[in-house]
This record gives sequence, C-alpha cells and structure tokens, in this order.
Amino acid sequence: MQVEDLKKSYGKIEALKGVSFEVKKGEVFALIGPNGAGKTTTLRIVATLLTPSEGNVVFMGKNLKEHADFVRENISYLPEEAGAYKNMRGLEYLRFMATFYAKNERDVEIFINRAKEISGLSDRLSDKIGTYSKGMIRKLLLARALMTKPALAILDEPTSGLDVINALEIREIIREYVKEGTSILLSSHNMLEIEFLSDRVALIDKGRILEVGTAEELKEKYSAKNLEEVFRRVVQ
Amino acid sequence: MKKFTNLLKKEIRELVTLQLIISLIFTIILFNFLGSLTKSEIKKSVQLRDVYVLDLDKTDFSKELLNNLSVGGFRVNLINKEIQREDKNLAIDYARMKNLNFLLIIPRGFGDKVSSFQSTEVEFYSFIKSFSMGSTVGSSIVNNIINSINNYVSNNFLKAKFPNLNPESIKNPIKSKEFVIIKDRIAEASSSEVMNFVYSQSVFIPIVLMLVITYASQMVLSAIALEKQDKTLETLLTVPVSRRYIVVAKMAGAGIVGLISAGVYMLGYRSFFSGITGGVDINRLSSDIITKLGISFTPYGYLLLGLSLFLAILNALALSTILGVLSEDLRSAQGFSFPIIILIMIPYFLSLFTDINSLSLPVKLLVYAIPFSHPFIASSNILLGNYNIVYYGILYMLIVFIILIFIAARIFSTDQVITMKLRFGKKAKIGGI
Repeated sequence: MQVEDLKKSYGKIEALKGVSFEVKKGEVFALIGPNGAGKTTTLRIVATLLTPSEGNVVFMGKNLKEHADFVRENISYLPEEAGAYKNMRGLEYLRFMATFYAKNERDVEIFINRAKEISGLSDRLSDKIGTYSKGMIRKLLLARALMTKPALAILDEPTSGLDVINALEIREIIREYVKEGTSILLSSHNMLEIEFLSDRVALIDKGRILEVGTAEELKEKYSAKNLEEVFRRVVQ
Repeated sequence: MKKFTNLLKKEIRELVTLQLIISLIFTIILFNFLGSLTKSEIKKSVQLRDVYVLDLDKTDFSKELLNNLSVGGFRVNLINKEIQREDKNLAIDYARMKNLNFLLIIPRGFGDKVSSFQSTEVEFYSFIKSFSMGSTVGSSIVNNIINSINNYVSNNFLKAKFPNLNPESIKNPIKSKEFVIIKDRIAEASSSEVMNFVYSQSVFIPIVLMLVITYASQMVLSAIALEKQDKTLETLLTVPVSRRYIVVAKMAGAGIVGLISAGVYMLGYRSFFSGITGGVDINRLSSDIITKLGISFTPYGYLLLGLSLFLAILNALALSTILGVLSEDLRSAQGFSFPIIILIMIPYFLSLFTDINSLSLPVKLLVYAIPFSHPFIASSNILLGNYNIVYYGILYMLIVFIILIFIAARIFSTDQVITMKLRFGKKAKIGGI
C-alpha cells in the first residue's frame, strides 16, 4: 500500500500536512507520535472512514477513492478503544462480522474457528459481551479483525488501556499472526510495543512524517538507546 | 440481501433487550391490573341500586312512590322495622352501622302535602366512604332517584288537574327534532351524540400516532448514539457492506421494534381505557345514522390513514437518523429526541383540543409544515370525507422523506458520519485529534 502526500483539514485545522509512506506485503508498519499528531486520522483514511482533502492511497494497485469497496473487502480495522455489541454473545458477534466477508456458510465457520483460536476465549465466547472484561473485548475484536486473513490489518492503539498481561497477550497474537502473511499498519504511544512488533516505523508529529525506517536504523542514525530517545531528538 | 438481513437482525437484537421486554410485560400487566380494578369498581358502583328508606309518612301516596322507584330499577328496602323507633337520627345511625350507601327519609305529612299540591321535601343521605371513581358514579344514582320522585309527583299533579292530557305534553310542549349535516349528507341525530361517536371512534388515533412516532424515533436515535458511544459504528463502516444498507437497516429495525412497543402500549392502554368506561357501550348512535352520515372508517379510509402514519414514521426515522449522527453518546441523543417530541406534541395537542382547520393562517401553515401533523389531520378529515387534504399531506410527507433520506444517506456516505458532533456547551472534537 502506498500513501502519497495525504492532507486532511477539518475547517481551519490541518490534521495532516502531506503524509507519505509505504506498507509492504507481510510487513508490520507502525506510526508513532504524540496525541494529535495525525495517527488516527491517517488510519481512518486508509480504513475508508475518512476521505483525504488531498493526496492518494493506492492499495493492492487500486486507488482507495475509486475502489473503496474493494479496499473494505481486503482490510480490517480495529479502532482505538472500540467496543462490541453488548447484547450479543461473543460467537454471535463473530458470526455477524464474518457474514460480511464470507462467500458462503463454510467460510463463516472457517472464520469463526480461526477467531476462536486467535482470541483464546474458548467457552467465554458463549457469554454475552456485556459480561466481558476490557482485555477480553480487545481479544475478541482483534480476533474479529484477523479472522478473515485480511491483506492489511489496521490496528489503532491495539493495547491501549490494557493491563500488562493482556497487553503482552495481544502483542503475542499480532506477532504470531504476521507469520501468516498479513500486513499490519498500527499506531501506538508505546515505544516498547512498537520496537517489539514492527518491521518499520514512521515518526509522525503535527500532521507530518518526520522519519521512516527500522527501529535499528533510527536508533543508529540518532545515536539513541531506544525509540523514545529517537522520537525526542527528532521532535526537538 | 444477506448482508442487509444480517444487519437488520443485529439492529433488532440490539434493541430488543431484556429491559425492554420486562418493561413491556410490566406495562401490559400494570394497565390490565388498573383496567380490571377500575372496571370492577365501576361495575360495583353501578350495581349500587339498593335504596334504604325510612317511611315516616306511611300513606298510600308514599307507598305508591316507593313502588314506582322499584319499577324504575331501584331495590327499595324499608328499614322502619329494623330500628327501635321510627326516628330520623336512629335511621342515620343504623345506615352508618350497616355501612349503607343511600338513605331516603320520607317525612310525615308528605302524602298530604303532595295531595294538596304543595311543595314538599324528602331527605336523601349519601354516605361517602371514599373519593374513588365508583363514589362519583354512585352520586348520579342519587340524582336519578330525585328525578324519578319529582317526575312521579309532578305527573300526579298534572293528572289530577288535567285528567285528559298527557303530563309529558304539558311539561315539554316544544320538542326539538335535531338534524346533523356533514357535507352533502343529512341525518336526524343529535350533534352531541354524533360528536361523541366520532370521538369514541378516533380517540385512540392521536395516542397511537404519538406513541408510534415517538417510539420509533427514540429507537433509531438510541441505536445510532449507542454505536457511536461504543465505537462499533467505526468498525461497521469499514466492513464490505453498502452504507445505504446500514442506514436502512437501522431505520427498519427501529421502526419494527418501535411499532411493536407502541402496539404493546396500545393494548395495555386499551385495556385500561375499557376499564374506565366500565365496559359499557357509550355509543347510542344507530348504525343507520352512521351510514347516512358516512362517519365511520371505510377500508379505503383505513388505507389512507395507514399510509399517512407509515410516512410519518419514515419521516421520524429519517430525521432521527440525522440527529443520531449529531449525537456523541446515548445521553446527548436523549437531548436530541426533545425537538422531535416537540414536533409530535404540537399536532397531538392541537388535534385533541382544537380544530386545526380553524387556526389562523400562519399557525395553520406552521402546523402543515410539520410532517407529523398530517396523520393527525388525516384522521378527522377521512371521517369527514375531505380526502384532498389527506392526499396533499401524503404527498408532502413523501417529499420531505425523500429529502431527509437523501440527507441521511449522504451523511452516512461521507466523513460527516464520524466527524459530525454537536455537544451542548462544549467545544466539538473532530476526527481523532
């Protein structure tokens, strides 16, 4: 996927001022930046939720503006702090979502079985989502996002608000899943998480990409011990 | 189509919560309970036709009067022998002790006075034990008894004075013959009876309209607000399904659940209302007059009313969908339901208390501009055979609906579904920043 010179304005506010990057097949690409840097806006544009004021996104050779339906069939998006339908049971929710991607009932079953495996929620999937903890909901949603084996999974702050154990489990799931060939575009505040998960990183601030590279490349370039230091130096 | 069905099932599943089911069941039980309670109270009070009498006069005239009361449907119970002495105070004490409802005391000399054409009095005591509806109905029995006595006494006067004339002709020498004209139809009937009949036929219509429209709009508002609050809408908008399907499924789900909920409330209300009337048929208008005046709903009339209501619901759903998008969470959605409720309440109250056609032109135009007014206007106009105004209303609502659904679909197919937020007293947050 190529993101080319994306600009997005909300009235007088310029949220994105020309964002460009590329996500390769099977790669984990991370956007890191402070609050209000433009991470979520970028992810929402790629996820077809928002339309850019200027610029372009090309996904699997197709322009996002003209082929939004094609893009939706091949991506999955996990919004930050997203919830699920509380009156549904876990399995009902997975079936509801799987139906949109499946060509037939067999596909639905395959997706659900995969989601069961990814989430690790086993019997709790028969319970109402309203009874789930925050960590369980996040696992369910991550399983929903990955069960269809999308070409690109867009994960906005996948571990936001979770305790250490749940965050670790979620990271393990993502890492395991990348081996299956899905590309991942994620955003996070957590630099350790980014270092653990990503192949390449883009530093974003005030609607602009400041640096792109692997964690090692960036650390070397800025003579930093970790990504937090890199980020501080880049921003300063 | 499978995707749409999937969405519709989800919408209904989310709206039909255990709380909703419990509240609907509770409503039916409560209304039924209140209805049957009121019904039994009123029936009890209607059956209170036992009249206890202390006859101190004991003349042929007083006996004849009591006999006449028995013929008039009252059960006369003489208590002369039940008390120690034939005394007024003892009779009152006796009635109080026996928990009686009515006591009639015929004084000494009653017969003589009546026979010599002098005005006289009887004493009537009503024992009020509560201020319930039953007691109110009971008081009408007192009037009936007094009227019955007066009628009997005055007829006797007149018969004695004018033995060859009918007392009724003397008392009411002029009789009115009342006619009612509706458009080009005429029938001999009392206008108040016709009005009562029309009212009894259409009393439920504004309530049904108000309930259905309010319910449906609140359902769709909550559905969208909840999706925004839980951020499930963001996920839903990125799945491969048409945005139009999402909008229509939301409206259809809310419409179906709203209709069912309103129907349940109506059943409960009907049961309560039939309790208030005590199950007694208050319509005295003959079917011949109804046919002559054409004041009942024909199948075509029902069809027009149904179409008018259906379009009003669609308008409410489309407007609520737009307002739902503006809301940020369930709490703010409740605030947005206020303007819709006001728009429903204006025609509702106007239709209950006044004739919309008789309003001044600016007010009338304002009422006509509210799409929800038209089913209220339609219900009375269909009965009166004024179909043109009903057709215009249907056409107007159709146009408004097309505009609203166009706006709603447009909002859902653009960024606005995510970025549009209206928060009272707070600065709006846009995008993810």
